[in-house]
Amino acid sequence: MSNLNELTIVEASKKLAAGEITSVQLTEACLSEIEKKNPSLNTFLEVFADAREQARVCDERRAAGESHPLLGIPLAIKDNILIEGRKVSAASKMLENYVASYDATAIQKLKIAGAVFIGRANMDEFAMGGSNENSAFGAAKNPHDPSRVTGGSSGGSAAAVAGHLALGALGSDTGGSVREPAAFCGIVGMKPTYGAVSRSGLMAMGSSLDQIGPLAKTVEDAQLIFETIRGKDSLDSTSIDAATYPARVAKKKIGVPRHLLKEGIEQDVLEHFEAALKKLESAGYALVDIELPSAPLALALYYIIMPAEASSNLARFDGVRYGLSLKGDSLIDDYAHSRKEGFGPEVRRRIMLGTYVLSAGYYDAYYGKAIAARKVLAEECARALQEVDAIVTPTTPSPAFTLGEKSDPLAMYLLDIFTVTANLTGNPALSVPMGTVARDGKELPVGIQLTVAHGDEPTLFSVGRELQ
Amino acid sequence: MISREEVLKLAELARLKVEEAEVESLQKDISSILAYVGQVSVVAGGNTSTTAEELPPALVRNIMRADTPRAGGDLMADKEEVLRSAFPTRVGDHNVVRKIIQKDE
Repeated sequence: MSNLNELTIVEASKKLAAGEITSVQLTEACLSEIEKKNPSLNTFLEVFADAREQARVCDERRAAGESHPLLGIPLAIKDNILIEGRKVSAASKMLENYVASYDATAIQKLKIAGAVFIGRANMDEFAMGGSNENSAFGAAKNPHDPSRVTGGSSGGSAAAVAGHLALGALGSDTGGSVREPAAFCGIVGMKPTYGAVSRSGLMAMGSSLDQIGPLAKTVEDAQLIFETIRGKDSLDSTSIDAATYPARVAKKKIGVPRHLLKEGIEQDVLEHFEAALKKLESAGYALVDIELPSAPLALALYYIIMPAEASSNLARFDGVRYGLSLKGDSLIDDYAHSRKEGFGPEVRRRIMLGTYVLSAGYYDAYYGKAIAARKVLAEECARALQEVDAIVTPTTPSPAFTLGEKSDPLAMYLLDIFTVTANLTGNPALSVPMGTVARDGKELPVGIQLTVAHGDEPTLFSVGRELQ
Repeated sequence: MISREEVLKLAELARLKVEEAEVESLQKDISSILAYVGQVSVVAGGNTSTTAEELPPALVRNIMRADTPRAGGDLMADKEEVLRSAFPTRVGDHNVVRKIIQKDE
């Protein structure tokens, strides 16, 4: 049996249930693809040596009568999500040899379901970046064109799925870190409602923004992973259950914020977007123009709030209890020395930026304003979503760029222009492939992003399926 | 553009060492990012510290629980050795840290 690794999770799950294939065969198909591609794509920072053994145990569990749809399915796990007893480095020198002391709640749920963890996926260091070029262990490469970036920060997770090195993956999304690489690699990526998936065991970056989310080949597969990992958790006080937000009645209307699409988007990306809108129309949705007056400020708010939170969260890495520890002339010098050598340039830049916007004298002008504007933005989205089922935009203004192309940090940040809003407002959002555009003789995928009301993931998936 | 001294002060506050060669590029990068995010100055309000009550409940909620000791069932129960094994400098069961309180000389 060949190319088992190219199956979707739903397809593989059916074959496993019917006894046509085993998890060992499925896992071996992924492992042999990894052996072929990982040396050039740098998708995985570590391929777990016991993946076959995990698969064998899953086959035994099935033989003993278990039947979860993810039982025996090989998944890639972003390197900032803890699996007990395994290394987890956040693609940073700071945690190069750090071993997780407990399971993330999402991991625990996947273990109960019986997923196979095939390896830890490359990422931007501490999830800071939109291209995976900030990994301390080298950039992951895009399977559609290895001279181009995967997107980020969950670049390895996206490339693993797109390159058929795993059937699905977990990533984390603070400002688009699941959706943007999913768009660049031509797969589906989802950011759940804030709190829908427990962050216990996810390394914190921006705590009011972070969510763990699935990356998969189809909307159905993403939904399957999401349904498995979601749920309220006593270990994450921000987590919610499915009943936190009231169920909604479908309006069969889609909101298009055309005022955001007037400039900065490449022409052929826009053409695909219009074609996707037509598809929704023919599926029976009415298109409605909506206005989100504060949305043009979203990126500015994000690059105040995220660094403020990240600089606070990353204060724990001081080389005292774990991680890279270097000696200087004094205690304070020990910290500064360990943090300089442990963190890469982008992480240090964001820590300094966060320190700046939180410092006395600048707090009101930056952080205070950003918090006030965030509230207004959330209200605008909520109002728009009273009229429509979903808001749509392209996921990114352009397809994957070449490695090294964007050396200016601000140019890199502008990629997140459409994705940060959902993190600021807590709404769930999904990126679905909407075709490919040609660049330098290569066909590169682009994505369309759907945003729905808090807790309305069912609509996210149902509209997403119309776009496949 | 933010000054060289400001960059050095920020680095100190952030407990980061910066190389001499980095200072100029940090001045440039941080200034251009601040110029961009400075767009928020058009937003009304925000000049008094915003309280959690002013934010949508979905975004910021304080959640309290009783501070009661939990025997067993604790996530980190039996994990002492795992945590100790991560110590950068370990002697026996102890994490060796630098002396910070010293006698007056």
